[in-house]
Amino acid sequence: MSTDLAPTRHSGLRLRHPVLVAAGGAGYGNELIAAVGEQTPGAIITRSVTREARPGNPPPRMAALPGGLLSSVGLQNPGLDAVLRRQGPRWASSDVPVIVSICADNADDIAYLARGLDMQPDVAGIELNLACPDRSRSGEPIGLDIEAAETATVVARAATDLPLIVKLTAVAPDVRAIARAVAAAGADVISATAAVPALAVDAERRGARLGTTYAGLSGPALKPIGLRAVYEIAQVVPIPIIGIGGVHSLDDVLDYLAAGASAVGMATAVLAEPSLPGRLGDELAGWCSERGLDDSRHLVGSALPGRKDRGSLRMGPFRR
Amino acid sequence: MARATTPSLDGEARLLETREVLPGRHLLTWAAPSIARQVQPGQFVHVLAPRTPGLLLPAVPVAGFDRVAGHISLLLLDRDGPPDALLRTRVGDTAALDGPLGRGFEIDSRSRYLLVVADGAGFARVRAIVDEAVASGRQVTLLFGARSVAEVPPSSLLPDEAEYVVATTDGSLGHRGSLVDLVPEYEAWADQCFAAGTPGLLTRVATLAKGRDGRMGVARLGRRRGRRPEPRRAEARRRAWLQVALPHEAGCALGVCLGCVATGTDGPLRVCREGPVFAASELRPERDP
Repeated sequence: MSTDLAPTRHSGLRLRHPVLVAAGGAGYGNELIAAVGEQTPGAIITRSVTREARPGNPPPRMAALPGGLLSSVGLQNPGLDAVLRRQGPRWASSDVPVIVSICADNADDIAYLARGLDMQPDVAGIELNLACPDRSRSGEPIGLDIEAAETATVVARAATDLPLIVKLTAVAPDVRAIARAVAAAGADVISATAAVPALAVDAERRGARLGTTYAGLSGPALKPIGLRAVYEIAQVVPIPIIGIGGVHSLDDVLDYLAAGASAVGMATAVLAEPSLPGRLGDELAGWCSERGLDDSRHLVGSALPGRKDRGSLRMGPFRR
Repeated sequence: MARATTPSLDGEARLLETREVLPGRHLLTWAAPSIARQVQPGQFVHVLAPRTPGLLLPAVPVAGFDRVAGHISLLLLDRDGPPDALLRTRVGDTAALDGPLGRGFEIDSRSRYLLVVADGAGFARVRAIVDEAVASGRQVTLLFGARSVAEVPPSSLLPDEAEYVVATTDGSLGHRGSLVDLVPEYEAWADQCFAAGTPGLLTRVATLAKGRDGRMGVARLGRRRGRRPEPRRAEARRRAWLQVALPHEAGCALGVCLGCVATGTDGPLRVCREGPVFAASELRPERDP
C-alpha cells in the first residue's frame, strides 16, 4: 500500500499507506507518535510554523458544533528555530515521515523557513500553507490570489529540494486556476482544503462565540467542500493531491480517492482518536485486498469525468 | 490534594441512574470505580463513546463522586455542551469515559470557611467541591446566579450543611439582581473562594478578589514568612484565595490542539492540561464587562 507522492524528488515522499495526519491534527507529531504504538499514520504534517514565535489568538478559540469544529488557534507556535530545537531531534526516532507546515506572508520569511528546513535530515517534506493570512492584503489568504500563490510557491521551491506540498483553500474564487499556477511554479503535491472561514454566534451574549469573531470550520461539515476542491483540482493538474476535510471513516477515504486524491489527510478526527489514520490505513489495505487490488492507486480519480477542463462550480454555480 | 497526573481509562462506565434536575438538564450517575478513586473536585472526563464520530471529545466536569461505592456523577447543564449521544444512554448502558483529567480545585488545609460562586452551567463544576468541603467539616456558602427560578438547580443536589444563596435576574427566586452584588457580604468571612460560570461572572469576581488582596496587603492564607511561592507552583494555587474553573466543552486526546487556551499572565495556558482550575493570579485580568 506504500505510495510515493514526490517520485521526481531525490528524496521522494514515500508513505507506508495513504492516510496521513493533516496540519493541526497532532501538534508537532511527537505526542501522537508516542501514543499510537504500531498503528502509525502514513505521515504527519505538523502544525504550521512561522519564522518568529506567535502567541496565537485570544480565547475562546474553539466551538464544538453539531457538524464540525470551529477553531481559531491563530498560528500559536514558538517559531521555526525553537520547533527544530525542541521537536526535531525526536522526529529522528520514528519511521513516520514528518512534513513541516510553514506559514508566512512575505517572500523573505517563506525562503527563510524553507531553507531552514531544507537542512534538516529528519524532515521528509514541506507544506506551504497558502491559507495563511497576508497582512499586506488586509489579512486575506495568499491562496485567494493566483499571482501571490504562484510567487510564494516559486520562492519556496527555490529554497529547498525537499518535496514541496502546497496547501490550498477551497474558498479561492477559482481553485483550479490557483492549482495550475502552483503546479507550474514547482509544487510536487497539492493539499486541499484548509479549514474554511465561518462564524458561531452567541445570541444570548449578542456576539460571536469566539474571540476572533471568524474562525476556521473543520470536521464532517467540511467534507463536501473538500471533495469539491479535490475533484476540480484533479481535473487540471497532473501532480498528486492530498484530500483534506471531514475524514473520519474508510468511506470518507474512499470518497476522496475516487474524487482524485492520491492520499488523504485528517486532523479534527485525529484529535479525538490519535490512532485513527493508522487504523484507516489498515482498513484501506484490507478493503483493496478483498477486491483483488494490490494498491489504492487503482482507486484514484475513479469518480472523475475524465480530465476535461470543466467549469468551476464557484465560477458558475449550478449553471449547466 | 494531589491531582491525578496519569489519567486512567476506566474502560466501561455503567449508567446507574438518570435524574432530570431541570427541564432538559440531567444528572447521570455512573459506576466508574477507577475514576471515582482518583478524581478531585473540578476535574473532568472525556467521553470516548458514545459520541459523534469525527469531532472532538466532549469534556464533562465530574459533578460528584463516591469513592467507596465507585460512583461518579455528570451534571449536563450546558446549553451548547451536553453531548447528545450521552443523553441518549439508558440505565444499564455503558459508556467509555477517560479520566479524571486536568487539575481540580485545591482547598488549603487551613481554610475553614469556603465561599463558592457559580452561575449557569458553572454549578456542575463546583458541586463536587461543595460536597468535598462539607464532608471535611468546613463551612460552605454557595452563591448561585441565574436568569430565573427555572434555571436554578434544586437544593437537593447539595449537602444539607451547605448554605445555598440564590440570585435571579428577574427576582423570581432569592435576591433580585446580580449574583456579584452578594459576594462582598461573604468575602471577608471566607478563607477561600472557588468560582465557575460565565466569563462575565469570573471577571467580576476576580476584580473583587483583587480589591480584597489590595485591602489586606496579601491574601490571608498566603501571608507566611519567607519567599512567596512561584505563581504557577501547586503551593501557590492551593493558597490562592480565589480559584476559578474555566469552561471546557471539548478537547483532544493529546493536549495538542491548543483550542482550549486561556490567557495567562505568562502566556497561553491550556485549560485541559494546566486547568481547568486556575488561581485567579495566573490569568490575565479581563476587562470588567
